[in-house]
Amino acid sequence: MVNRDIAIEKAKKVKFVILDIHGILTDNTLYYTDDGKKSECFSLHDRLGCKAMIEAGIGVAFLTSKISRADEQVGHIYGVPPERLWGTSAKVGKLDEFEKESGFKDEDLSYVGDEMIDLGVMKRVGFSAAPSDGAIEAKAVAHYITLAVGGKGVVREVAEFILRAQGKWEAVVEKISKSD
Amino acid sequence: MAFEKNLDKAKEKAKKVKLFVHDVHGVLTPNTFFCDIEGKRRYAFWHMDGFGDLSLTANGIQIAFLDTTSIDEEGLFRARELKLDKFYYKVKDKVAKLEELKKELGIGDENVSYIGCEITDLKVMKMAGFAVATADAIDEVKEIADYITVAPGGRGPIREICEFILRAMGRWEEWVEKVTKMGYK
Repeated sequence: MVNRDIAIEKAKKVKFVILDIHGILTDNTLYYTDDGKKSECFSLHDRLGCKAMIEAGIGVAFLTSKISRADEQVGHIYGVPPERLWGTSAKVGKLDEFEKESGFKDEDLSYVGDEMIDLGVMKRVGFSAAPSDGAIEAKAVAHYITLAVGGKGVVREVAEFILRAQGKWEAVVEKISKSD
Repeated sequence: MAFEKNLDKAKEKAKKVKLFVHDVHGVLTPNTFFCDIEGKRRYAFWHMDGFGDLSLTANGIQIAFLDTTSIDEEGLFRARELKLDKFYYKVKDKVAKLEELKKELGIGDENVSYIGCEITDLKVMKMAGFAVATADAIDEVKEIADYITVAPGGRGPIREICEFILRAMGRWEEWVEKVTKMGYK
């Protein structure tokens, strides 16, 4: 059960946000063209979300089973550097590895996921979020459930929630609207 | 029309599955395709259905794509990406193909699960031990199915059945834990 006050307290501590791609940045759909090219649909709302977090000094990484060229392109457009595009289905293993090399603790981290394979990480991190059309299991463990469905601005909503909790939202919006 | 299915019976049937067969259109896709003004076509698949197929193969259950109605090779691209080798393209007689597959794998009808959505699936579904219909399948298909998915075609029915089968076998929790710790391989 989501408790807004607890979610705000948890969001205050977030220093780094890890995002699942399919079902979060996309609505889970993969498009294949007649000549075998794969494509995915993303939301520009999420670009603002990523840029805002990065601007506020919160790191952003993508974590999915395999990083496609589309994901690389999206990373580039959203300002997420190539070394933070993590392609592995061993998500808990990746979390351990990242904490070891970065020195971040569970409570410094946030994860946005929608599926059973995200549960391991969602239960560990300080602040976890799920989209409103995520799997029931993911929503059951999330500290925050977005109004947006996957692919329609989930990251923007999470970013605003975290940055408002940290009192940084207004300043970041002003900065971004000048530079963009 | 609403069809009532016996969940306990479906679970018993799911336990025996050794081969899971699906068509491409209407199951892996929402039975639609996009066509741009230059005639280039595009097909929508569901990311987590790939997880479903890979979960079953990792647990020793074979997957076969039995494709009848493709316009392009869209299903083949998908199967290749998932590294699934049992892809049968533009199959005219699904029943004959399934008989062939059963012989090759040394399994019986009770070991076959099939998910379908159209009248062209009826014959194979009657053969299969565990027959599944998508949420948006036509009524004739739903009527003879042992289980109807909550997800419509192209929105995760394979992911759902994979979980159903592995849960019935008592392997789901263990598998999810394993894959999130160690990955697929």
